[in-house]
Amino acid sequence: MNLLWGILQQMALASVPAAGFGMLFNVPARVLWYCAAGGALGRGLRFALVEGAHLPVEWSTLLAAATVSLLGVAVAQRLRAHPKVFTVAAMIPMIPGVPLFKTLIAIAQIQQRGLSDALLSTAITQGLQALFIVAALAVGLAVPGLLFYRRRPVV
Amino acid sequence: MDFATTGKPPLTEPQQREATRLCVETGLILLQHGAESALVENLARRLALALGVPRAEVALLANAVVVTTLSEGHCITTVRRNEDRGINMHMVTEVQRAVLAAEAGALDLEGYRARLATIKPLRYPRWLTSVMVGLSCACFARLVGADWTSCAVALVAAGVAMAVRLQLVRLHFNPLVNFFVTAFVATSVAGQGAIHGIGDKPQVAMASCVLLLVPGYPLINSISDMVKGYINTGLARGMYAVLLSAGACAGILLAMTVWKVWVWL
Repeated sequence: MNLLWGILQQMALASVPAAGFGMLFNVPARVLWYCAAGGALGRGLRFALVEGAHLPVEWSTLLAAATVSLLGVAVAQRLRAHPKVFTVAAMIPMIPGVPLFKTLIAIAQIQQRGLSDALLSTAITQGLQALFIVAALAVGLAVPGLLFYRRRPVV
Repeated sequence: MDFATTGKPPLTEPQQREATRLCVETGLILLQHGAESALVENLARRLALALGVPRAEVALLANAVVVTTLSEGHCITTVRRNEDRGINMHMVTEVQRAVLAAEAGALDLEGYRARLATIKPLRYPRWLTSVMVGLSCACFARLVGADWTSCAVALVAAGVAMAVRLQLVRLHFNPLVNFFVTAFVATSVAGQGAIHGIGDKPQVAMASCVLLLVPGYPLINSISDMVKGYINTGLARGMYAVLLSAGACAGILLAMTVWKVWVWL
């Protein structure tokens, strides 16, 4: 019950940034709803996999991105637009922004204060986390093309 | 991929020249508005085929598009310089629909050129985008468990920062300068929460309000390009995304030094 409530909260909170950043990417107004739905589905699914199934966050991200992308193909064919038009905005709630900035700030601190184990460890672990999650998002989005649409375009 | 002959009558030289120009313009518009390399190359080649050119090759560089068409033993090659116009998915959608119409046979050379000329980029009102991005950053804060007051601080900081960012875009500042200034503004506004003790988690508000500066689209495009074999455009996009993040990081550090609030580490 607690898990379900958590998933619903995550989904509701994730739909707003997906649509908000969709506007920043000038996604057409009609398509913004798909951004919001994809964002909610992706973030909700990742939360369920991490908290419910105890999968590592990178693998959960990959599965969530692949699911959104596969469903996005059906929507894209109906809209006659490439799926990336709305699926990338749907990934925004899962982008590792905080680890990315922590890495860069830790590197700047190493330059200013000198090398320490704590700073070096922050820089490397946060940087790797950012890299792995972004890679999981991009590869997850590419799954339809890698598995099913190998020699033909999606739209 | 090698496209076989289409069975249409061969193009005259002026027609082939026109088709080449339309292909390179199509590729250029897509690249300028943030389409991934695979889509740019795919649509430019499909357009060439739809316009009756038996074979077309597309090469993408970080800052340019090259298109060569081959017809009746003649090659025509042309290059266009690419300037980034900012991510605009409306443009990508409309160009794709024009190419699909050409493929369906609904548009010929003249028709396609006229259609391409009518496509104008969609821009949402700046105040609306600022409000929505402010709300988005407040949701990011709430997602990591901030209280409502801290979320409100993140909303104000991110909304003001987004308005500044859009204004700087309009004044044609270099994006790196833009990200630096925007990060400084966002952190300065959210930092007031930490200084005056507004909200229970001012550190979360300060972290969330700069998330509007994470170059999510270039980062994802970068990896997508490289996964699909476009290593050079992928590396260029990835490097630019890292530079933009570094610009934002410098803005955050400056603001934290000026206001003497250290929260990130």
